[in-house]
Amino acid sequence: MPEIIAIHSFRGGTGKSNTAANLACLLARQGRRVGVVDTDIQSPGIHVLFNLDPKDAAHTLNDFLWGKCDIGRAVYDVSRILGPEERGKLFLIPSSIRTGDIARVLHYGYDINLLKEGYQQAIEQFALDYLFIDTHPGLNEETLMSIAIADTLLILLRPDQQDYQGTAVTVEVSRALEVPRMFLIVNKAPASLCGDALAAKVAATYNCDVAGVLPHADEMMELGSSGIFCLTHPDSSLGRAIDGILRRIET
Amino acid sequence: MNPDAKKILLAGLIFAVVYGLLNSLSNIFLLPSAPIISFRPQIALPMAVGILVHPLAGFITGFAGNVVGDAISGFGAFKFWNWHIANGLMGLIPGLAVYRHIRRIDTVRAFGILQGSIVFACAAGVGTAVVLDWLFLHFMTFPASLPSWILPAFLTDAVNGFILVPAILLIAGRIVLTLETRTILMITGLLIASILATAGSITWAVLDDLVSHGAMVQNFYIAAIVSVGLLVIGFVAAVVFVRKMTAPLAALGRAAEAVEKGRYDLPELAAVSARADELGRLARIFEQMAGKVGERENSLQRQVAELQITIDREKQARDVSDIVDTDYFRALKEKARKFRGA
Ligand SMILES: Nc1ncnc2c1ncn2[C@@H]1O[C@H](COP(=O)(O)OP(=O)(O)OP(=O)(O)O)[C@@H](O)[C@H]1O
Ligand SMILES: [Mg+2]
Repeated sequence: MPEIIAIHSFRGGTGKSNTAANLACLLARQGRRVGVVDTDIQSPGIHVLFNLDPKDAAHTLNDFLWGKCDIGRAVYDVSRILGPEERGKLFLIPSSIRTGDIARVLHYGYDINLLKEGYQQAIEQFALDYLFIDTHPGLNEETLMSIAIADTLLILLRPDQQDYQGTAVTVEVSRALEVPRMFLIVNKAPASLCGDALAAKVAATYNCDVAGVLPHADEMMELGSSGIFCLTHPDSSLGRAIDGILRRIET
Repeated sequence: MNPDAKKILLAGLIFAVVYGLLNSLSNIFLLPSAPIISFRPQIALPMAVGILVHPLAGFITGFAGNVVGDAISGFGAFKFWNWHIANGLMGLIPGLAVYRHIRRIDTVRAFGILQGSIVFACAAGVGTAVVLDWLFLHFMTFPASLPSWILPAFLTDAVNGFILVPAILLIAGRIVLTLETRTILMITGLLIASILATAGSITWAVLDDLVSHGAMVQNFYIAAIVSVGLLVIGFVAAVVFVRKMTAPLAALGRAAEAVEKGRYDLPELAAVSARADELGRLARIFEQMAGKVGERENSLQRQVAELQITIDREKQARDVSDIVDTDYFRALKEKARKFRGA
């Protein structure tokens, strides 16, 4: 059964795009066929991590949502970033970065049935095992759709007072949407906090499984979205922690 | 009679027979060795029995064994009864010091007590025999008996016991090989070898320019005193030396235990880290390491303790219902159900 995994956070900049990209790459490395959709129509960004030049993307998710093309045309094979020993496949469905395209979708909105159909077609056409949905932060209509479609929802938060309240609302709303599986991921934790104590505290506060605590990594900042952390630093503590999350959500 | 007492008596008597036979043998065949110190290895028997079986068994072995030995040798079973008591004491005293109090001889301190108790037992035994003779028996004449009887008896037993009892206890597993005991055993071995060799060479030198029988005995006597004096001084020095060498390791061990238990200030290392040698360096590094671990531990605990996840539950409920209690949301939920059902 192909699985749709949405990555969300209440606040911006929590590491959604990076986490989605890293998990997708790890799975592709293991030989799976993995797709990633950028539903952050307002501020797309994940294409940067996959090294896809927007100029090379003749069609985007926006075009599909307006009925200008079918979804297959907006799917780009980005497997080359996996390196020479690639075994699986990695695909990206980008959002348009043109301001006109962005404004238009935001103005008219789109229908969840269409989105779901698009995902279904892409999964079938490219024989995907996993489809990751990168989202815009906050709880607007579009992100609610992504949550509603997901089989598994990963909610990111930082160990920061700013993130706690909104995350609590997000968890309850997602629960109301009856998401089958939901995990919290704590990102950018200082090394000293990366113990079971923090995970336990978060799990107890939100009454929700914690898939892992990811340490803040200076190397990640140095990378500056110019690559996939797990591919460049597989043996770092962050690399291993992301690997741990994957194992946790795979079962 | 309670079974323990029976066991002690039985063991004492059995070993007494062995000891007596060995004594009578060495009364017949005087074995040559270092000057005045005759080779009388069997003295280690009552001592070892006292330590391993029971102090009283050691006493019985020494006492009864001496009776048996004298009887077989034709001295008359109870003529020199003061020496029976002396032998009994030699079996009793090391047992009193070690049997119950030191179950494992694994430190220099324990080894020092063992060896000290052996030498003391010989002195006490011979001293008692001399006093009893002086009070009741009058076989000895003073000071003539000193070089011919009293000192040889003490020196022989002390040196033999000193060498052989540790050997027996090692075989019996009572002496446990540790860094400390290995070192002190090695030094003791070297000490004994060198002293016996020195004593031997003094003997030969004396034989070379032999003037008179009296002079020879006199010189042997001096050689023996010097040898045993060196043995005792050397041993005490070795004990101090080895303790100085290994005490820091024990302190480091205790410090490591403290860190394991979560105590990071280590006053027990102060003396060690003041040393200029390798162990001092190790101790200083250990202190620094413990300090760092402690700091990290503290800051971690502080951070986890300070970490408060406060959530305003009322606000949360309001925000959730603002989203959930809308037609849009209800429709979305319906659709999501349909997707998942499909
Ligand atoms: N574990 C980490 N350690 C250090 N830096 C991190 C970590 N995770 C993410 N970052 C950095 O945080 C920034 C935001 O990451 P990312 O773009 O993945 O977040 P996002 O949630 O997708 O943001 P947005 O809400 O804007 O889409 C990036 O600069 C990224 O390099
Ligand atoms: Mg993003």
